[in-house]
Amino acid sequence: MINIKFHRLLSPSQRQSFVMSITAFFSAILLLALGSMLSLICYRGLAYFWPSPIYTVSYYDAKLEQASVVYGQIFNEYEEHGEYIRWFLYSSVNHPTGNQMLLEQSNTLSVVESANSANITLKDGRTVMGVPAKLNNDGRLDYSPQRYLDMANRVAEIQTDIDNIQVQHLSQIHQQLAQLDTQDVADDAPARHKLNNGFSLWQQKIESLERQRNSYVLDVAMADGQTVAIPLADIESVFVPGQLNLLGRWQVFLRNIGQFLVQAPKQANTAGGVFPALFGTVLMVLVMTLIVAPFGVMAAVYLSEYAPDNFLTSAIRISVSNMASVPSIVYGVFGLGFFVYTLGGNIDSLLFSDTLPAPTMGTPGLFWAALTMAMLTLPVVIVATEEGLRRVPQGLRASSYALGATKAETVLRIVLPMASPGIMTGIILAIARAAGEVAPLMLVGAVKFAPNLPVDGDFPYFHLDRQFMHLGVLIYDGAFHSQTDAKGASMMFATCLLLLLVVVTLNILAVILRARLRNRYLVN
Amino acid sequence: MLKLFEHETLDVHNLGDEETAIGVKDLSLQFGQKPVLQNISLRIPKHRITALIGQSGCGKSTLISSFNRMNDLVPDCQYTGGIFINGRNINDKREDVSQLRTQVGIVFQRPNPFPMSIYDNVSYGLRLKGIKVRRYLDDAVEQALKEAALWDEVKDRLFDSARILSGGQQQRLVIARALALKPDILLLDEPTSALDPLTTLFIEELMAGLKKRCTIVIVTHNMQQAARVSDYTAFLHQGQLVEYADSDTLFTMPEFKQTEDYITGRYG
Repeated sequence: MINIKFHRLLSPSQRQSFVMSITAFFSAILLLALGSMLSLICYRGLAYFWPSPIYTVSYYDAKLEQASVVYGQIFNEYEEHGEYIRWFLYSSVNHPTGNQMLLEQSNTLSVVESANSANITLKDGRTVMGVPAKLNNDGRLDYSPQRYLDMANRVAEIQTDIDNIQVQHLSQIHQQLAQLDTQDVADDAPARHKLNNGFSLWQQKIESLERQRNSYVLDVAMADGQTVAIPLADIESVFVPGQLNLLGRWQVFLRNIGQFLVQAPKQANTAGGVFPALFGTVLMVLVMTLIVAPFGVMAAVYLSEYAPDNFLTSAIRISVSNMASVPSIVYGVFGLGFFVYTLGGNIDSLLFSDTLPAPTMGTPGLFWAALTMAMLTLPVVIVATEEGLRRVPQGLRASSYALGATKAETVLRIVLPMASPGIMTGIILAIARAAGEVAPLMLVGAVKFAPNLPVDGDFPYFHLDRQFMHLGVLIYDGAFHSQTDAKGASMMFATCLLLLLVVVTLNILAVILRARLRNRYLVN
Repeated sequence: MLKLFEHETLDVHNLGDEETAIGVKDLSLQFGQKPVLQNISLRIPKHRITALIGQSGCGKSTLISSFNRMNDLVPDCQYTGGIFINGRNINDKREDVSQLRTQVGIVFQRPNPFPMSIYDNVSYGLRLKGIKVRRYLDDAVEQALKEAALWDEVKDRLFDSARILSGGQQQRLVIARALALKPDILLLDEPTSALDPLTTLFIEELMAGLKKRCTIVIVTHNMQQAARVSDYTAFLHQGQLVEYADSDTLFTMPEFKQTEDYITGRYG
């Protein structure tokens, strides 16, 4: 039997410092974990925007049994089974808009950074890597950035013309034709002929403009010398990473961030921006706050100021605290079952019965999501508000009563303002929780792709019945893409960073507000 | 010469209705099962300062609080008997308590200004009554602060937070807050026990000045203070009124042994 007596090994002061070291060690581990999480997300998130170099890659293609050369970017490199493997995104004649391959070191002939190859971003979010060689429009001109900009401007003008014709003329004719349909005008009536003729006239005009537009083409030379023609109308931006100085790289970096924030997702959420998701997240949190704040505060005021101190009140208070630990997916199922199907379904059968069986309110949407999240965060607000109310000194209440105030006046004028820092704490916690929650949202309204924003120029402007995109859902989606698509994974980190920033910003705003309130109502 | 400033001494045991500010008749009060006041009867004269003295827990704070029904805020508080102010029994269930409290102001031991500006503190009671006219409020605030001898110190910072005032200033602010409602009766529940001697003196002078305007009832643990400021003194012991007389008599020739023991410091 080994019987070590620790108290003999260590002196009392040593034992104390031993406890300190142990606790400090665990604190350090915690800090390290937190720091590494933040730095990973920041690094991977920001790297998504930084222009990465394009390489000329020569390799032995095992399938074709010959050497090939492509332009490509390294997405990842690692060692597996003793072999060094690079994960390339590349452009070739067969796959101009990008493909990916895993290239073992044994099959790699050379990887050299290319000085001339450009990163050509298309409007649909895909990328072509190649050397811009000729600009083609009734004659071939050598590529120069200035010429490219001139031509791109001309293409944009033509596109504006086409859009104008579609908006001003074609849609009008469409409406008039639809009117004839509702009036049951015969198929061969002269009015129809006139409209149809006008329609085909404008259609021809558009076709000729489109031909003119499509005649502007950029010839891109691939690494093996073959060229691919890309219509200028499809190109969003062209830059050559190999020729950028530091300032230029920063410009591209900032432009990428800007586009990430304002553009809609493209290519099944693996490219483009996240604006609809950012918008949806913030709007959902705002609507939720508008719902949860009054509900939570009023419930807390009743529980703490008015409710008699009996068994029922304690039971309610305990249930409220326990509601906070119910798994969020349960709220999601409740939201779907009660709000969407029951409540929404009944609203449909009462108010929108003419459009049934197509649901109007009885379908997942932003309002139901906000309501579900409000349910989920209600306990947080109630508990924090009650805490704040309890901290208001009895002396102040008594003073208010002593000046002739009723209970309601005292609550409104003295107690609630003084409890406002506590209320703000509750709302901060609610916001932080709601902005990061994903699982219940996927059941009650958040989708991978929503064609419309929940707020737009069409009456009644706020379409809270619409489904919406959410940063958390986008990350979830991106995490599944990451197994097959290199770019999806990078976007996941960038979205993660953005979600963190949104939550931190909302928190900082609320903390500042709380500090100001606390400063104002602090009791000495 | 000094006599000029002193009142004629009234016989508090045979006070006429005209001279009575508060008439307490057979008041008994208990918190839950615990009796706090037993069969108290006394008449507090108008425009005088009456002090309530006695040991901690003897019920003097409870008595003063029942003059504007502040005890209603304590759960399980039951009382019988009558308290007559202006001929009305305020213990009546139909009494408008808010209205009563504007007529009978109370100041507590700890100064507790509201977390608002000085101006808003003083005008709080008036605003509750629905008065919104700015000029009227301005005048009332100025007058109340002057009566509480605070005006000169705060007139340049009326809209600063009341929290920045010193303890003594805060207590005077609280008095001004009560005075702004022009109460007939001002109840002071140990108003100076949290203040330093100099500020205490200041507040005592203030009370002497306010006597012309309203009746003052003060609870104090300080025998010297009771003797200094009050015209009449009531001594309570374990919920019962032991002795009630004009202060000179009570402090110099107490009728009962208990009173003598207390004021000479043999217990308490």
